[in-house]
Amino acid sequence: MPVMETKNFGKISFEPDSELEFPVGVPGFDSQRRFVAVRFVESDPIIYLQSLQDPDLCFITMPILAVDPCYKLNVKGEDLGQLGLTAARQPRIGEDVLCLAVLSLHETGPTANLLAPIVVNLRNRRAVQAVSPESEYSHQHELMPAEASVCS
Amino acid sequence: MLVMSRRQGETILIGDEIEIVIAHVGRSRVKVGIRAPRHMQVIAREMKLVSEENLLAAGAKASGLSHLLGRLHPRAARVEDPEMPG
Repeated sequence: MPVMETKNFGKISFEPDSELEFPVGVPGFDSQRRFVAVRFVESDPIIYLQSLQDPDLCFITMPILAVDPCYKLNVKGEDLGQLGLTAARQPRIGEDVLCLAVLSLHETGPTANLLAPIVVNLRNRRAVQAVSPESEYSHQHELMPAEASVCS
Repeated sequence: MLVMSRRQGETILIGDEIEIVIAHVGRSRVKVGIRAPRHMQVIAREMKLVSEENLLAAGAKASGLSHLLGRLHPRAARVEDPEMPG
C-alpha cells in the first residue's frame, strides 16, 4: 500500500485505487492532479483532500449537501466530459458523483465555496472543480448553524 | 462603467493592444473573441474568484477550521471535545 508523508497528518497510507485524478488540476493549482480523500471519525463530516504531489497542500471540504441540503448541481458540458459523464443529464449527488464544498477560513468565520464544488465521478474517480457561473451560489457561502431546512 | 451597445461581428478596442469582438449573440449568452498581448492574463471573473478562494483555502489551518466548525455546525460539533470552551 503506498505511503505518503503529509504536513497535516504525518504519514498516511492509502489504497492505490482510492486515488482521485484531477485531469486539469483545480484553479490556482493547475499542476496538482492527484489527491486522496482523508476522513476521521472525530472530524466528521469534514473530508480532507490531500495532494499526493505536495505534502503541504490539503483542502478542507464537506459534502455539499451537509452545507446546503437543497444544493442543485449544475455542471457544464465541458466538465462532464472531463469526468467521463454524459452531457445528456446532470449527475446525481451520491449516486453518480461525490460532491464536496471547499471550505476557507475568514476572520468573520468559515465559508464554503458553493460556486465551484469538487465533483468526483464515483465510477472512475476522476474529479474536477466545477465552476458554475450561471448558478446563484456564492464562492463564500457563510457556514451557519445547521437548521432544519426543507427542500422544495 | 462605460456601457456600449454592439451587434454580432462588431468590435471594441481598448487602448492600442486589446481588441474585443462580439463573435456570436445567442438567446442567453454571447461569445466574445479577445485579442490581447500574451503577457496580459485573460480569465473569466468566476475563475479568478475560485482561484483566489482556493489559495485562501489551501492556507487554512485544519485545527482552526474544525474548531470553528464545531461551534457553528452541530453535525460537526457532536464529536467535539465537550471540555472545549465556546
